[in-house]
Amino acid sequence: MKLEQLAERVQSRTPLRLLVRWVAGIRASVHTKLLAAFLIVTSLFVAMALVSLQTIVSATHQSQLLDEAHEMVSLAQEGEHALARQMHYTDLALLSQDEVAIAKILRENNRFNDRLAKVEAAGTAERGLVEQIRSSQDEAMAVVADMANAIRDGKLGSVTGGLLRRQERLDTEITTHVGRLVTAQQDRMTRLRESVTAANRRSLILTGAFAVSAVIFALFCGFVISWSFILPVREAQGFLDKVAAGSFGGHISVPNRDEFGALAERMNHMSRELERFDIEQRHAAAELGRLNQQLAQTSKAKSEFLANMSHELRTPMNAILGFTEMVLDGLYGDVPTELKEPVADIQVNGRHLLRLINDVLDLSKIEAGRMDLALGEYSVREVVDIAYISLRSLAVEKGLNFVINVHDDLTVAYGDNGRLTQCLMNLAGNPIKFTKQGRVEIGVELVGSELIYRVSDSGIGIPKEELENVFAEFRQVDATVTREFGGTGLGLSITKKFVEMHDGRIWVESEIGKGCTFFFAVPLRTKGDSA
Amino acid sequence: MSKQTILYIEDNEYNRKIVRQLVGRTSYRLIEAIDGESGVALAQQELPNLILMDVQLPKMSGLDATRVLKADPRTGHIPIIVITSFALSGDREKASAAGANSYLAKPYSPRELLALVREFLPES
Ligand SMILES: Nc1ncnc2c1ncn2[C@@H]1O[C@H](COP(=O)(O)OP(=O)(O)O)[C@@H](O)[C@H]1O
Ligand SMILES: [Mg+2]
Ligand SMILES: [Mg+2]
Repeated sequence: MKLEQLAERVQSRTPLRLLVRWVAGIRASVHTKLLAAFLIVTSLFVAMALVSLQTIVSATHQSQLLDEAHEMVSLAQEGEHALARQMHYTDLALLSQDEVAIAKILRENNRFNDRLAKVEAAGTAERGLVEQIRSSQDEAMAVVADMANAIRDGKLGSVTGGLLRRQERLDTEITTHVGRLVTAQQDRMTRLRESVTAANRRSLILTGAFAVSAVIFALFCGFVISWSFILPVREAQGFLDKVAAGSFGGHISVPNRDEFGALAERMNHMSRELERFDIEQRHAAAELGRLNQQLAQTSKAKSEFLANMSHELRTPMNAILGFTEMVLDGLYGDVPTELKEPVADIQVNGRHLLRLINDVLDLSKIEAGRMDLALGEYSVREVVDIAYISLRSLAVEKGLNFVINVHDDLTVAYGDNGRLTQCLMNLAGNPIKFTKQGRVEIGVELVGSELIYRVSDSGIGIPKEELENVFAEFRQVDATVTREFGGTGLGLSITKKFVEMHDGRIWVESEIGKGCTFFFAVPLRTKGDSA
Repeated sequence: MSKQTILYIEDNEYNRKIVRQLVGRTSYRLIEAIDGESGVALAQQELPNLILMDVQLPKMSGLDATRVLKADPRTGHIPIIVITSFALSGDREKASAAGANSYLAKPYSPRELLALVREFLPES
């Protein structure tokens, strides 16, 4: 968490920001960028390995040199020792005067020469010095030769003094020279050792510095490259949050010219599209709202028109039927016999016209969606009775056998009794109209939770292919029948609509020539609020 | 004692004529108005015993006139029979809400109308 905050701060408040943006802006794929970053880091480590290797190699070389120098010092010292012994034997030879000592001198001289040669071969010694040593040594050997001759001739005693002086001078000379040689070799070794130490320290520092800077550079690379990816992702996140919150049309700008840049471009495109859709959708919704309002207004206007029409049509009907009734009731005095029939005809046709008006208006109301059921508790028996009583006189006039077949235990039901009565009257009115003689029966039955109303007759029946059609508006099986009996073909379609408003269904069974039975079934308790 | 007065507010002349001839044979006195506004004015002036109110009237609708009269303390007690056509569902409720005491559907039978009037206003 803290580390993240630090990284965040570093990223946002230092010039690194510019670098991050620059890397983001490089026109290359994320794949390439990552590969490049890994390659850089890898090559750094390879370079580091090479530097270390080189350091090890040079250290080895230095230690070899040191070993050599060390050997030179040893050789020089051995030479020095051999010389010392040579001198010792020389002195001994002078004293003992035997040849054994001479041999020993030669042996030591050989040893000395050998070491000197080695030192000389190594090329580390001063040439002049070696030359001087060698010439002094040659001289010393000449002295030894003289000494050997003198010993052999037995004349040593006479030359001893001279030999000793020469000998002493040479001893001093050689010893000084060899001492210088040894010191020079030792100095050289000391210098070499110092320089090796310094070189070792230098390469250690170099390697360390290289390692540290490689690590720092690797971290730096990782930092820059990762931020160049994190920034666009973060932008996208913010953008998507906004979209999720329902604010469209936002724009993200990222410096990336890689896949992230392409992604951002696509998101911007999507954002524009979303905004366009949103605006369109809003317009559509507004338009829909406007249309809806218009529709509601139109519907209201239609309803008002219906109400007015209904009333306006009934007002003159009221006068016609009212005057006719008053005439027939003798309000204006006795009606002459010959006028009674035409006035009664006026009344019959007036009532018929009124029914037509009512049917047409009902249908219009249903279609305008302004027909609501007045739901309530009602007595099934009463519905049947009202329909029966209203139609009985007509049936009796035609000499039909009009009967009710209902069980007395029918209880109270829930629905619109007025409309159900209207349905039953529509169904029963037809057979009374179409049946010349025979029987018309109204019945009701409770089956489960369904009330099944039924009107059957022994009339003309309905052809099979017309059974479905009779419920359609303005549909009549035979137009000539209409002329004979009147009617509009609306009764059954209105009945069907009322039944369906009760969540019921209606159907008919018929055999041509033998009559037909209309059924409609409604729930014992129709669902919905009472209106 | 003075005759019981019935006010009939109706714009259709023939319908007024029917009621006029119908009531002419009874002991009631009939006064008439042909629009909502004059009907309300006449009711407030004459304080009739019963009002027959058509729903569809010029100037002021029958329901509005009913509301005005029912809200007026002088006329609030007068029974009003609204003559409606039950054109749309809810018309009955609207009539009750306006304060109608009863309603009659158009077209009414003169016989029925007289019976309803007698229910509210027994002939003395
Ligand atoms: N009981 C019936 N017997 C024979 N035909 C019938 C019967 N009931 C209805 N129909 C046929 O169905 C048609 C439609 O009936 P309906 O919708 O009531 O209209 P309308 O009675 O005005 O003709 C009738 O014209 C008639 O042809
Ligand atoms: Mg019919
Ligand atoms: Mg009117």
